[in-house]
Amino acid sequence: MDSRQDRIGIRATRSRRGRAIAGVLALLTLGACGSLHKPPPTDPDDLADYKAANDPYEPFNRKMYNVQMWAYHVALRPVAKAWVWAVPKPVRHSISNINETWREPAVFFSDVGAGKPRRAGDSFMRFTINMSAGVAGFFDVASLVGYKQHETDPGMTMGTWGVPSGPYLFIPFVGPSNIRDGAGYAIGQALTPINYVPRGYGLLTFNWAYNILGTVDGFANSVDQIDHLEQDSLDPYSYVRSAWQQNRQSQIDAMQNDHRATTPDWYN
Amino acid sequence: MLKALSRRALFGALAATLTFGAGVAHANPATDFVNSFGGQLVSIVNSSKPLGEKKREVLPLLQSNVDIQGIARYCLGRYWRTATPAQQQKYLQLFDQVLVNTITDQIGNYQGVSFRVTGSTPTPDGERVNALIDRPGQPEVNMQLVIGGTPAKVVDMYGEGASLRMNQRGDYSSYLSRHGGDVGALNTALEHQLSNHH
Repeated sequence: MDSRQDRIGIRATRSRRGRAIAGVLALLTLGACGSLHKPPPTDPDDLADYKAANDPYEPFNRKMYNVQMWAYHVALRPVAKAWVWAVPKPVRHSISNINETWREPAVFFSDVGAGKPRRAGDSFMRFTINMSAGVAGFFDVASLVGYKQHETDPGMTMGTWGVPSGPYLFIPFVGPSNIRDGAGYAIGQALTPINYVPRGYGLLTFNWAYNILGTVDGFANSVDQIDHLEQDSLDPYSYVRSAWQQNRQSQIDAMQNDHRATTPDWYN
Repeated sequence: MLKALSRRALFGALAATLTFGAGVAHANPATDFVNSFGGQLVSIVNSSKPLGEKKREVLPLLQSNVDIQGIARYCLGRYWRTATPAQQQKYLQLFDQVLVNTITDQIGNYQGVSFRVTGSTPTPDGERVNALIDRPGQPEVNMQLVIGGTPAKVVDMYGEGASLRMNQRGDYSSYLSRHGGDVGALNTALEHQLSNHH
C-alpha cells in the first residue's frame, strides 16, 4: 500500500463532502440536546478517560461511524475493489495527483495563514509546476524537482493559532474530525478553485466525474487498511478516534516546528 | 488517514525498522540497541527457513527486546488493578500472542526494505529513536521507537505521530467500559481475536 496515495486518496474523498458538514453540525446540535450526548461520569477514573477521549457526543458519533461502515461494506468496498481490479495503477496515481494538485491553493493559503512562508512557497511551486509541466496535475513533477507534497488545511492553521479543537466528531463520508477542523474543512472547500469552476453542462459533468473518481480512488487506496483495522481492533471506533487525534496534533506540532528558511535549501 | 490508523501498518513498520536496521546518524545506547536488535532480526528474516520457523525464532527475540509486559499493563490502564491475578496472567499471555502475531505477520511483507536511524530525542518514557524506512517503489515511512528501562527495551512505538500503545489502550479501555470493566470479557474477546487470526 502506498501511504502517500492513501493519504491523498482519503483527503480527496474528504474534499468532496464539504456540504455534509453543515448538516451534520446541525444534527449534532440537536443531538446535544438529547440522548446522543454522553454526560460526564462521576467516577474519577471514568472522568479522566472521558476527558482524554474528548468525545462528549460519543453516542451520536458511534451512530455516524456505523452509518459509514454500513455504507463501506455494502457499497464502497465492493466498488473500490472493482476499481483497483479494473483501473491500471498509473491511471489511479494520476487521479490521485490531480486531486492533490488541485487542492494546493487551499494548502497554500493555509500555510500563509499559519505564517509559514517556506511551506507556502512549496505549495505555490507545486501548484505552478504540476499544473504546467505536470499537465494540469496528471503528473507530480514538482516532487521530482524537490517540492515534496505536504498537507496543511485551515483546521491545522487554526490549531497553530491556539484555537481549541472542540469535541471530537465523526462525520460520515468525511471521517474523524472535530468542531474546529470541521469549520476549517468548510473554509478549505471555499479555497479550492474547482468548486467555483463548473457552470455549464459539460463542466458540471466533469466536476461530477472528478468528485466520484476521487472518492472511489480514495477508498480504493484504503480498503486493506480499513479491513485490518476492523479485524485487529476490539473497538475500531475508539482506535480510530485515538489515532486520529494524536495524528492531528502531531501534524499541527510539526507545522509549528517547521522553521525552515524561506530561501531554498540549495541557496543556503 | 486510515493508513495511519492501522495497527498492522504500524507494527509492520516496526518489524521493517527492526529487521532492516543499518546506518546510525548519531550513535547512542538507544540507537545502538535498535541496530543490535535489528541485526538479530535480519539474520532470521533473511534465512531460507519457512515462515513458521522464522516466527518461532522471532518470538523469543521479541520477548527479550520488547517490553511486552509493560506495554500490556499500560494498555489495560486502571483495569489492571481491578483484574484478578488469574485474569492478569491470562491477559498477559494473550497480549503476548497478539503482539507477536501482528509483528511476525509483517515479516513476509517487507522484503527489500532499507532503514536508517536519523536521530533520537529524550522523552519522559525513554529515548525516542527516529527512523526512516524505505520500501521499494513506495514512499518513506517515518516512525519512532521509544527505548527505555533497564535493561533497555522497546517501550512504545509511534507511526504517523500516533503512539501505538496509546491507541491500544484506547481500544481496550473503550471495550472494557462498554462491558462493565470485566477483564474476563476482554480476555475472551482477545481469545476470539486470536482464534480468528489468519
